[in-house]
Amino acid sequence: MSLTMPEEILLLMLDDESGRLQERAAPSGDYAVAGAVLAELALAGRIDTDPTRLYVVNPAPTGDALLDRALAQIVAAPQAGDSRHWIETLAADADEYRDALFERLVSKGILKRVEGRFLWVFPERRYPVISDKEEREVKARIMGVLFQDDIPDPRDSMLIGLCRAGGLFSLILSTQELDRVQARIDAVADLEELNRSLADAIREIYAQIARYAPMV
Amino acid sequence: MDISESTDKGVKVAALTGRLDTATAPAAETKLLALMEGGAKVVADLAEVHYVSSAGLRVLLKAAKQAKAIGGSFAVASPQAPVREVLEISGFDKILAIHPTRDAAVAALA
Repeated sequence: MSLTMPEEILLLMLDDESGRLQERAAPSGDYAVAGAVLAELALAGRIDTDPTRLYVVNPAPTGDALLDRALAQIVAAPQAGDSRHWIETLAADADEYRDALFERLVSKGILKRVEGRFLWVFPERRYPVISDKEEREVKARIMGVLFQDDIPDPRDSMLIGLCRAGGLFSLILSTQELDRVQARIDAVADLEELNRSLADAIREIYAQIARYAPMV
Repeated sequence: MDISESTDKGVKVAALTGRLDTATAPAAETKLLALMEGGAKVVADLAEVHYVSSAGLRVLLKAAKQAKAIGGSFAVASPQAPVREVLEISGFDKILAIHPTRDAAVAALA
């Protein structure tokens, strides 16, 4: 079963056993989900980008409700923005995107929904993995690109940029492996303008955290 | 987008004109991949291309990937300054052979 990039990135951000999102992926996880939605719209030929703007080239719905919601929002925007503007705008609705994606992965038989309580008090919904085949396939695809010298496929470049944005490589790779392939990760990810904008947006989040952290 | 073909010293040259973006990417991709059949040597001459979007860049990447896969060769020639800048920002200059002129590209592949 092929998954869309928003589905893939969410699956990678999930701690399989607990069914909770990896803490490592926060706070950039919202941006990674937003980036994944834009990446899928770009590969579906609905939007295109350059270093200064993101624009609609075909407003026709894709048939994927999640992508079409974002596309409609971009089409309706009174002013054009760049990729970073749209990453930040869509990330504001990341909770809704995530909930919809979780439900979709449940209906595909990849996750199950577990209602429970966190610290005995707070209602909490978790999504443990019941079929890990899809996630293993995605990881194998990523490793294939990173550890070989081939020219990457656009979809793989996008996904690698999304994993970088979500801080996921430190979860997938050992420190030694990461040291070995960091330059390759950056080279592959930076081929795509959306990935570069995503990295810029995330650098800004961490800069903000660093700026305000001493005050907390 | 207008694409004219010629052959120079056994190298096929596709001269692209106009914008290389989502609207023109499919035709450009089809043309470049067709020229590449049988492992041919192909140059995409961008002298008359004034704009390349992300979708346009993906076409060049796919062409380079295809050339590598089938044992052909692919190079980009004479990008205008703004296009060259986009190629450099994205690191395409590390993956693609980019030459300042068509003659230099042909000479490199011939």
